[in-house]
Amino acid sequence: MERRSSEELEVPLTALKDGETGILTSIKAGRGRGRGRGWGFEKRLMDMGLTPGTRVTVVKSAPFHGPLEILVRGSRLALGRGMAERIFVEIEKE
Amino acid sequence: MTKRKLVIALAGNANVGKSVLFNHLTGLHQHIGNWPGKTVERAEGTLRFKGYTIDIVDLPGIYSLSTYSLEELISRKYIAVERPDIVINVVDASVLERNLFFTLQLIELETPIIMALNQMDIAKRKGIEIDAEKLEKLLGIPVIPTVAIKGIGIFQLLEKAVDIIEERRVVKPVEVKYGEEVEKRIAKVTKMVEGIHFWYPPRYVAVKLLEGDEEIEREVSRIDQQIVSTAETLAEEIENLHGHSCSTVITSERYEVAGCIAREAQKLVSPIKPTMEERLHTITTHKITGYSIMAFSLLLIFYSVFTFGDFSSELLSNFFYGWEPFFASLFGTGIVGKLVWGGIIEGIVAGVTVALPYIVPFYIILYFLEDSGYLSRIAFLMDNAMHKIGLHGKAFIPVMLGYGCNVPACLGCRIMETDRERLLAAFVTTLVPCAARTVIILGLVGKFMGIQWALMLYVIDLLIIFALGRLAFKTLPGEPTALIMEMHDYRVPHLKTVLKQTWFRLTEFIKIAFPLIIVGSLAIKFAEVLGLLEPIADILSPITVVWLGLPAITGITLIFGVLRKELTLVMLATLLETTNFADVQGFGPVQMVVFTLVAMFYIPCIATIGALVREFGWKKALFITFFEIVFAVSLGGVALRLLTLMA
Repeated sequence: MERRSSEELEVPLTALKDGETGILTSIKAGRGRGRGRGWGFEKRLMDMGLTPGTRVTVVKSAPFHGPLEILVRGSRLALGRGMAERIFVEIEKE
Repeated sequence: MTKRKLVIALAGNANVGKSVLFNHLTGLHQHIGNWPGKTVERAEGTLRFKGYTIDIVDLPGIYSLSTYSLEELISRKYIAVERPDIVINVVDASVLERNLFFTLQLIELETPIIMALNQMDIAKRKGIEIDAEKLEKLLGIPVIPTVAIKGIGIFQLLEKAVDIIEERRVVKPVEVKYGEEVEKRIAKVTKMVEGIHFWYPPRYVAVKLLEGDEEIEREVSRIDQQIVSTAETLAEEIENLHGHSCSTVITSERYEVAGCIAREAQKLVSPIKPTMEERLHTITTHKITGYSIMAFSLLLIFYSVFTFGDFSSELLSNFFYGWEPFFASLFGTGIVGKLVWGGIIEGIVAGVTVALPYIVPFYIILYFLEDSGYLSRIAFLMDNAMHKIGLHGKAFIPVMLGYGCNVPACLGCRIMETDRERLLAAFVTTLVPCAARTVIILGLVGKFMGIQWALMLYVIDLLIIFALGRLAFKTLPGEPTALIMEMHDYRVPHLKTVLKQTWFRLTEFIKIAFPLIIVGSLAIKFAEVLGLLEPIADILSPITVVWLGLPAITGITLIFGVLRKELTLVMLATLLETTNFADVQGFGPVQMVVFTLVAMFYIPCIATIGALVREFGWKKALFITFFEIVFAVSLGGVALRLLTLMA
């Protein structure tokens, strides 16, 4: 589990607790394949509405380190944990 | 008369009610095939309306028009190259923003378009009110509210579509405007592209080049390499300006436009108490209740499918075998008679008695679950387990299908995103004990050794699936992909759509499996008539007798098993002239387990091989086949030695 420090506001999506919301800052895609590296799963995520600046709410995560259930732009998505670890958000302060 | 023919394409996200609309429009006049040379489905149908014969093409459900998947590529090319008279964009009103993101891409393709604002009822229940007229103004395209499942708005939709085509009215959709920096560069590239001849509109090509679209880059570089490199430089400039890749910037800005339009056109009534759908979702994905409900429903499904299948399978085969004397009187009992009955008719009977009883109910239940939305919840819950063999949650669906029959399971692997995962999932499904293998496990080990031994074989099977799946996952090159899946709101499935999907799947199965089963039966019958079976069994005896410790005649039964696995048991009874296998000399409990293990894994049946060839080509299909032969034989031999040691 990632520890959150008070200064560090940018955390992976997996660090959010159930019900917490964050603003997406970046997607750290895997090994880049030169230009056009945005065309893999990063592109897919963005097509599903996960673009920088978007509010993402983690509803819950499946047990045993399973996928995350998130709400984004009014739709409910299931997101594999490996993918969610590469999505970085800024936690919204109350 | 040629003018009276129109083509309308349906395009939209997955799970927006597109196929329901398609069924409403075309009724029974439809057929499903594949896009030329591709394993992507192409659904087409016709209807008559106001004197026109209208061809409706149902494009695959997709979220974007990039090159992420084959489906997206095919849809994009179809719209740009084949130019349907109009595209009906089917939109889920309850998830307007994301759907509009797709609409904007259709608009960028500069195709005539009209929107079916579907699932208005679901949106209303979620507290979303959409002003369709306002949306129409904002987008600059006609918007017709529909509730496809109840048939509401479909006539108006069709009328509007035909009106627009007839009047050749120039519909001026909104222009998708990006930020200033991006627009400047789009203009630059557009100017360069205008000079070349290409099936996509120039501005679209410019946007896609900046996004780094592989297909368009490839096509354009063939004409003018200069354009591509200029676009690359410009894209880098944008990247430096924004700190994000150009494709991120463009996608974000396109979503921004979609978001603005959605916010203006929809009113969110403060959510009241959670809806029924919402509560159902929470319960079915909960870590305790979710898994319990899943386990219970799966058990219920298997139990009812197998009870029903067993019963109707026997009924059907009794019915068919009642015709045997009739055929004997027609063709005699000589060689011709044997070939006609044993080769052709028995092949058909085999197909029918397996296909109808098990596959049909399995498919019906599966599509009910899919349409209702429960399947995606199962995938959510099973994602973690599937990851252990390098697949993700969606792969659980074909695996589950495999318990009914491996053939539809292999075809069902199409839902996976990449070729690698399709192959991996298909390989795993061929190891799943299908209905025919269940007959062997229960009919031999279960009956003569007790149900606990049969259950143990199932556990061993699961372990083997796990081990081999993992091995294949490690050896196949490529990266594993993660689950990205929409979980749409629960809804009542549309019975007609479910039945139609079942029907199409069934015909697909018949087309693949039946010819192979018939040819296979004929070949084996020929061998039998010519007296070749025993020599073959002798040739196989070093494996069957020496290595596996089985009676020599099992060689023959295993040959028959290639047609259908349960024939291994049927033939064993025929050749031993008894169904009480416990009395047979040299066929004790150890041999029963070894025989069943080998029968379970030794080869995918001929129909499954056919399905593999169709989906992955000869080379991969044969590789899987040979691998499984070697694997099963080794496994059987090791099991024999271990069991003898233990006994």
